[in-house]
Amino acid sequence: MNNYYGRQIVNPKIASVPAGIIVRPAFISGICQRCGQQQLAPLPNQQFYCLACLSLGRVSSLDVLWSLPEPNAFAHHEMTLTWQGTLTAQQRLVSQALIDTLGAQQEHLVWAVTGAGKTEMMFPVISHALQAKQRVAILSPRVDVIVELAPRIATAFNTTPMAVLYGTQEENYRYTALVLATTHQMLRFKSAFDLLIIDEVDSFPYVNNAMLAYAVKQAKKAESTVIYLTATPTKIMKKRAERREINVSYLPLRFHQHPLPTLNVSLVGRWRKKLPQKLLRQLRQFQKRMQRFLIFVPRVADTLVIYRKISQRFPDMLGDFVHAGDVSRQQKVQNMRDEKIQYLVTTTILERGVTFPGIDVLILGAEEETFSENALVQIAGRVGRDNKRPTGLVRAYVQHINLKVLAAKRQIKLMNRRGATLGGKR
Amino acid sequence: MCLICQKKRRETISLLETLGLLKQKHQTICEQCATQFASITLSCSGCGRQQEHNELCYDCCRWQNQGQLLLTHQALYVYNDAMHDYMQRYKFNGEYALRHVFNRQLIQAVQNIEIDLVVPIPVSQYTLLTRGFNQTLGLFEGLRYQQLLSVSQAKKTDQSRFNRQKRLTRAQPFVIANHTSLSGKSVLLIDDVYTTGRTLYYAAELIYTLGAKNVKSLSLAR
Repeated sequence: MNNYYGRQIVNPKIASVPAGIIVRPAFISGICQRCGQQQLAPLPNQQFYCLACLSLGRVSSLDVLWSLPEPNAFAHHEMTLTWQGTLTAQQRLVSQALIDTLGAQQEHLVWAVTGAGKTEMMFPVISHALQAKQRVAILSPRVDVIVELAPRIATAFNTTPMAVLYGTQEENYRYTALVLATTHQMLRFKSAFDLLIIDEVDSFPYVNNAMLAYAVKQAKKAESTVIYLTATPTKIMKKRAERREINVSYLPLRFHQHPLPTLNVSLVGRWRKKLPQKLLRQLRQFQKRMQRFLIFVPRVADTLVIYRKISQRFPDMLGDFVHAGDVSRQQKVQNMRDEKIQYLVTTTILERGVTFPGIDVLILGAEEETFSENALVQIAGRVGRDNKRPTGLVRAYVQHINLKVLAAKRQIKLMNRRGATLGGKR
Repeated sequence: MCLICQKKRRETISLLETLGLLKQKHQTICEQCATQFASITLSCSGCGRQQEHNELCYDCCRWQNQGQLLLTHQALYVYNDAMHDYMQRYKFNGEYALRHVFNRQLIQAVQNIEIDLVVPIPVSQYTLLTRGFNQTLGLFEGLRYQQLLSVSQAKKTDQSRFNRQKRLTRAQPFVIANHTSLSGKSVLLIDDVYTTGRTLYYAAELIYTLGAKNVKSLSLAR
């Protein structure tokens, strides 16, 4: 029964209902009660199903939603923070502000540069919430982020049971106080969480997605706290912060106090036809120094082509290519993490939420539409995240310079100036 | 939009098509998804299984030894990974919109067979109330058929969970819903997937009791 606490699970109308379960209709005047959208597809006999949330299992007019109210029935004595690290002075400030928000039950934006140590700053507030028997969800729109966060959270709270949810699998679910999940998974919850932390809140597919916004809204309790984490808030988010509709903690300094690596821009010719000399020179250097690196390209189709060309030129440098539709995507990223390969040609899927210590980054076609200003800032933020090598190279190869590339450059410089006023190294 | 991968496709209409000199092709899935499916070229004359020659396969010889009249089954596609995923989504996730993917080909295939009437394999009442549709009727939408059979139990046990041995030893799941004389008629049974043939042979047995001259069968996958 406790699998239904704070959940909404689709069951056929004709299934017999266990005692105590609250049954709600799946549709009210054509609106799907799980995802809040109105995108119907027909079934025979005047029945229909929802197209919007189909990827999490079908909801049809032949179904109902089962739920049980969230009782917060946790054995909370064992849930302590087992993380041993320390926070910097700036991180402690943010962390304390978050604990204060927890009492006030508000929304809070943590606007911290890439590599500021956002996850670690969350630990105290999560610990506080768990101590108070609250149910906590740590969310991200991106699977890769969840996959990378899972072991870190698990070690920080190694006595606390945690459910990690993503994809279509339902087997992994068990009733726990701590839930780590993609934002899509919130469609399976109803009034469940007291504290929600949404990492990379400005990223695809969460941003401008009415269904996911609805999912998060109904997964939290009426009285709850929401913390948004990002290095690059959207305009709407910034506006809300300016109007004081939402609390903001601002951290323009990385945890190791070094400035962000700036974006270097190189003009090149048509790189899709032939690898530019400038790029080849750079790669030769990487080869000599055994430097590990990522190459970002604008399109899925570019990944394979560019990887082939590079591996022809540099057969003894081991590398690979990856994109969202790649079946062995997790494995390839893991190989890069384990230092089995020296480089990875990738699309924007690796733009955020991933850390490969000590890498450099090259961006081909940075002026193209796929890379937004914020995406470029995030990509640059992959570099210099390690205490041992807090600097690194970020080079964008462009056929022409446009305002977006300049804006990204400017944004990084602005952050560094602000960081310097906080006492960061120059 | 491709029905399978949901990607938008660029529609290119050739000059001849615009002028109406060439019929426009209506594709429901993109070329990339289409290449994942393997159509059956040379097959067993009994069950439609893809093989090197068109002689009877081992399994069909067994059916013949059991005294069954062979169905001369035809299937359009091999049941490979892509087809498995498709069936998973269409049947078990209930994405009814996917019925359009092979609809035209299936109807064309039926029209190429000389028969008098079409009888679909039925689904149970329980399936109708949970899945909401008969997967076979969805695939063959637009075809004229006669619903002569029905499932005897309210809840038909889901065969896809069984192994071959269990499937073959299952008892007759169907009853005749509509007693009409079929004397001298040839009947085509339609189904979504042919796996062991057990289902179709049970259905065929009942159709023969109605006096049918011969019974053939057709499915999307084998």
